[in-house]
Amino acid sequence: MSGSERKVAVVGMGGIFPCSSDLADFNDKLFSGRSLIREWDQALVHGKNIRSTVSGFITEAETGLETVYSTLAEGYPETYIDTLGRIPDGNLATADLGSIWAMLGALDAIKMAGWSESETQSEQTGVIVGSGGAGHVILRPAWHNFFELNKKSRVAGSHTVDRAMVYRDAANVSCLIKNKGVCESIGSACATGLGNIGYAYRLIKFGIQDRVIAGGVEGTSLETFIGFDAMQVLSRGFSPNESSRPFDVSRNGFVCSFGCGIVALEEYEQAKARGANILGVIDNYFNNSDGDGNMFFPSFAGQKRLWKGLMGNSTRRPDVVKVHGTSTPVGDSVELLSVVDVLGEDGYHISAPKSQFGHMLGAAGAVEFITALLMLKEQKVLPCLNSITLNPELENFQRSDSWTGPQKPLEAYRNLIPQRGFAKEINNIVCLNYGFGGTNSAISVSHDRS
Amino acid sequence: MERQQIIDGLVEILKTVRTIAPEKLAGITEDTDFIADLNTPSTEMINIAAKAEQKFGVEFDDDDIDGLGSTVKDFVDLIIRAKERE
Repeated sequence: MSGSERKVAVVGMGGIFPCSSDLADFNDKLFSGRSLIREWDQALVHGKNIRSTVSGFITEAETGLETVYSTLAEGYPETYIDTLGRIPDGNLATADLGSIWAMLGALDAIKMAGWSESETQSEQTGVIVGSGGAGHVILRPAWHNFFELNKKSRVAGSHTVDRAMVYRDAANVSCLIKNKGVCESIGSACATGLGNIGYAYRLIKFGIQDRVIAGGVEGTSLETFIGFDAMQVLSRGFSPNESSRPFDVSRNGFVCSFGCGIVALEEYEQAKARGANILGVIDNYFNNSDGDGNMFFPSFAGQKRLWKGLMGNSTRRPDVVKVHGTSTPVGDSVELLSVVDVLGEDGYHISAPKSQFGHMLGAAGAVEFITALLMLKEQKVLPCLNSITLNPELENFQRSDSWTGPQKPLEAYRNLIPQRGFAKEINNIVCLNYGFGGTNSAISVSHDRS
Repeated sequence: MERQQIIDGLVEILKTVRTIAPEKLAGITEDTDFIADLNTPSTEMINIAAKAEQKFGVEFDDDDIDGLGSTVKDFVDLIIRAKERE
């Protein structure tokens, strides 16, 4: 079968989610309209030195893990104990928190997929998982002990590299499941989660792999949080459950959150032949760059090209657009207007799951892809919480002579953005994610109707 | 310090190395090989050495560690040499 004829099915999913014991609990809380954002004690203790204090964080204890601190290197997490016995100690020794989450998500996804041991360990099985940030929680105390406390390099032990390297999540998953195919990480800031899944899709589509474990991770890290806090881009001044408010006129930043989303992808005909439960079929993945030289400001033209690349000549419109929808002032408005410019003013709905759990950075695209799969399963649209009032005035950039997009204020598109979840027939969802550096990614996923 | 005291101290260190199965720690002698007999990952050897420095109050030279073998005897000899240098 040539690459152009191969289709890609999603056959498993798993992960680690804020305030949720497992995927089923996450599903229940999402569709009951709950916010999974809390005040974060780790941020609160820093008083006036930190601007934002809300997060969709996840503690070690909440995921059945205990930290073993080094007796040699002050404050250094030497290893973790899995109190539920899911991950062998040898694998825990080479993992940071996010990598452990990736391993747990991978085990759940493989279990749901029903892959045999020989299938999992095949040369035709790959692992494509990445993180947005580095292994900050490992590196900070290791470096502090060497540079500030003048201790020998060896006091932090021999695992700072494997627990902090760029592709640590993929490497740890691969060493756990013992696949013999591709093992890599894609890094594209807040598009990382979807980027890894998109790359995995291409590996199967183009005939390079038959199965791939793919996704994104962002382990809980105050080190990561304060970087964004310093940029003044985090939400501030609202109660936790009102802090993430995509498209609302009073939004003032995103909620920095953490989590992990892992999916099992498989060549469609193989999955069907073995009777797998098909959670969704990926129609296409496309990614591009803004090309305007701007690291941060979103690009209307770049997002329109993204849609063109994803949809090609198809006239089919998605039933739901799962937007990036971070709750940042400019990001949300450019995104909504680009969606409207491409799809029109009605006939679909917009879902912004970050309104419920915040922005999981490198995990965002993967966890939100899972929310799209859950919407397909439940046949319900997840809401955009706190999207109460949309701007009745034009955005400043809409007033410029160079603006070529919609001429109406965001308020005109109120009907597209539900504040509460609701049931409707959902056959196709498009997921959008963007990242610093002007990177844009989009994936289209449909119900298996065969 | 007697050699057996050092071995006992090493066993206490090995109990904190979670990649070594606890049941393998019974009956350790100077001939026991960390890698061959205890299945210790080679990357853990430096961690054991660093913990030995702390436990026995010594500092190893990098040359000694670079040439270190993988038996308990090699570690005991290293610790005694380091103590004699003090």
